[in-house]
Amino acid sequence: MTTTTPAPAPPTGVVGDGTTARSRASRRWRRARFPLAIGAVLVVIGLLAALPEPRTSSTPLAPDNPAPVGSRALAQILGDHGVRVEYTQRFADVLDADRPGLTVAVLGDTMLLDDQVEALRDMDADLVLVDAPWAASVVAGVEAGYSDAGDDERSPSCDDPDALAAGTIVTSGTLSAGAASSGVTLCFPASGDPAGTGAYAVTEVDGRRVAVLAGAELLTNRSLATAGNAALALRVLGRGEDLVWYIPSWQDPWNGSTSDDDAPTSTMPPWTGPLMLMLGLVALVAAVWRGRRFGPLVVERLPVVVRSGETTRGRGRLYRRGRAHGHAAAALRAAAASRCATRLGLPRSAGAAELVDAIAHAVGRDPRQVADLLYGPPPHDDPGLARLAAYLDDLESEVHRS
Amino acid sequence: MALTWRAVLLAALGIPVVLLVPLTGTVIVWAAFVAVACTVDAMLAASPRQVAVARDVPTSVRVDEPASCTVTLTNVGRRRLRARVRDAWPPSAGVLAAAGVTPGADGTPRTHPDRHDVDIAPGDARRVRTALRPVRRGDVHADRVTIRAFGPLGLAGRQASVTVPARLRVLPPFRSRRHLPSRLARLRELDGRAAVQVRGAGTEFDSLREYVIGDDVRSIDWRASARRADVVVRTWRPERDRRVMIVLDTGRTSAVRVLDEPRLDAGIEAALLLAALAQHAGDRVELLAYDRRVRARVAGASGPRLMPELADQLAVVRPELVETDWPGVVAQVRARMSQRALVVLVTALEPAVVEHGMLDAVPGLAERHQVVVASVTDPEVAALARGRADATEVFDAAAAERGALERAAVAVRLRQRRVEVVEGLPDELAPRLADTYLALKAAGRL
Repeated sequence: MTTTTPAPAPPTGVVGDGTTARSRASRRWRRARFPLAIGAVLVVIGLLAALPEPRTSSTPLAPDNPAPVGSRALAQILGDHGVRVEYTQRFADVLDADRPGLTVAVLGDTMLLDDQVEALRDMDADLVLVDAPWAASVVAGVEAGYSDAGDDERSPSCDDPDALAAGTIVTSGTLSAGAASSGVTLCFPASGDPAGTGAYAVTEVDGRRVAVLAGAELLTNRSLATAGNAALALRVLGRGEDLVWYIPSWQDPWNGSTSDDDAPTSTMPPWTGPLMLMLGLVALVAAVWRGRRFGPLVVERLPVVVRSGETTRGRGRLYRRGRAHGHAAAALRAAAASRCATRLGLPRSAGAAELVDAIAHAVGRDPRQVADLLYGPPPHDDPGLARLAAYLDDLESEVHRS
Repeated sequence: MALTWRAVLLAALGIPVVLLVPLTGTVIVWAAFVAVACTVDAMLAASPRQVAVARDVPTSVRVDEPASCTVTLTNVGRRRLRARVRDAWPPSAGVLAAAGVTPGADGTPRTHPDRHDVDIAPGDARRVRTALRPVRRGDVHADRVTIRAFGPLGLAGRQASVTVPARLRVLPPFRSRRHLPSRLARLRELDGRAAVQVRGAGTEFDSLREYVIGDDVRSIDWRASARRADVVVRTWRPERDRRVMIVLDTGRTSAVRVLDEPRLDAGIEAALLLAALAQHAGDRVELLAYDRRVRARVAGASGPRLMPELADQLAVVRPELVETDWPGVVAQVRARMSQRALVVLVTALEPAVVEHGMLDAVPGLAERHQVVVASVTDPEVAALARGRADATEVFDAAAAERGALERAAVAVRLRQRRVEVVEGLPDELAPRLADTYLALKAAGRL
């Protein structure tokens, strides 16, 4: 035996919005794909535009200077051979990076202070001193000499492997071993200079290698391709894996800060970045919370709005633009005359003379004056029209009082 | 899917966490946690598409009078429905006005009186009520019912908008009905009063009564007086069962806003007052709203059915931006009115319009019927005519005066063709038209 329970009364009303999960998904995709495509195109364009155009400078001998006096070619070739070039103009960075096995190239020493030169001497890193006679003399005891020889082609004339590998170079300047120094290898003497001189010196000081180059030209973009310049420069600078390319600057004080110290993030606590990201997440969630509309906007057909007085204003503007003082005055006069006639009980058929007489009688004015006011010559300018309007108002109020 | 403030709170709880473990990874993990929590919560919510929605509204309501819309929600799904429901109506339905909510400085209201929170067990039903106070005449069509069902944690929800048709007809306010009692009193005075001016056979004999001083001696019934000691006068009562045809011009001139209301609405007020008065006087009233075609028509309704029918038909009449076809109006009136009738044309006396259509068509009508032209005047033009502050205002004043003169000339030309002209500001037109009707009736000119 089966029992049947009475089916509950079906609920009345509309159930659902006639969509399925699939139809909603396809509708959303159809609606979103165009904006998404536009966004994607914009992102791609932005990335292409922002793709690192390498930063350049105009500092002589700087590794990011593509000008003839710059050294970008050398820095790039070093980079291609796996040497990490770190360019700085801060002595603090040099001291910060100092460790055995590192190569520090110092280009020029006229901006260096006594203390900085002393510090160079006490460093652990290998040094390459280019165009830095004072530093060379303090650190390696290599003195710069005077020579009449200009830029000329020189051969090694020594047994340093780097110099031999380079063959001939074109450079200027002369170095010689100082009195207190020993074990200095001098190469590339200028023709006609005495023995014991050269444009390139290499020595060992306190267990590290110090190379000295008299002239800086062979590092520049302009002269790098000349003779064996490139070979010598690459071998001298590219001995280790890391190279600090230091160009002293007058803006860099002793005990100055390092680049890291001056970066905008250096004074912030370490949790700043993650906290910003988290706040961004909160903002994103809040945006989704507030941004989701509670149902579609309700549209309503509004009645047309035709402002009253529109035609009247338009006509007034026409009068003004056409400087139709006569027309405007005629309208004002006719209206005033019509109101006065009504007030004085004159019939519509009454003529001008009759009206003038009646008004003049009512207000006790000279009929000629009234006639002039109502039927006189039209005004020709704005003040005239304004005056006429005021006189007509006076006349009308007098008629109404009478 | 929609989020709630709780989801924002959950995301914000990650701030102390990220301060404890300041790593980018913490943020990523927390974001994933928030996303998963919201997704799961939304998936656990009842489906907003498993709700039967029914709307119930009154058929009609007057402008500015309260009404309410009842939405019945039946949970036909298997999960408990915790939801917020929006009963969406267009702005002119006056949801905000009914709840006394004024929008903030940026135009958005602070609270939403059309949103309701419901908690419905499976199989149960709930009713929510939205108060309405329509601000504009016409049909208000309800928009969708949006249901946002929240999950058990209240973090996120699912949303669906259901189309539930409902129509609320908003009838004209009929503010001029406050003039009705005084006009009805005047109508009763007319009734049974000795007819001072007896014209033709238009007036109906009512009864005999004693002569009182002031009665027209011409109305003395000598034969009846001879039978009695007193002097007896015949009394007349105004004609009954006359026909009144009200024609509302819905052409472009009726769209002009006068005192923040279309001119047409003032005309509707006048038409309603006249119809109410004429119906009490025992006349048969017909109405036609016309521009280039018939927009509304009331014919054959009498007694208590007349006023509701009129209000219902006039509720949906809208100004159309077309030029009124006056020969068409005349043809419509001729087709409906075979015998003499009072034809009231509710329009605007725009000189250009009158000269190019009305003045040719209407006099033909006036030969046969008593024609009254009722026109809504514009207070702004009167204000312009008084401007004297600078040259611009004087020019505008001149333009306004010129317009007034032209209107007066047109009115004179219409009167010369035996057409009565009634002009008035929006709130004056209805009583003036009623007075004109009473005067015509007293004079036996219907």
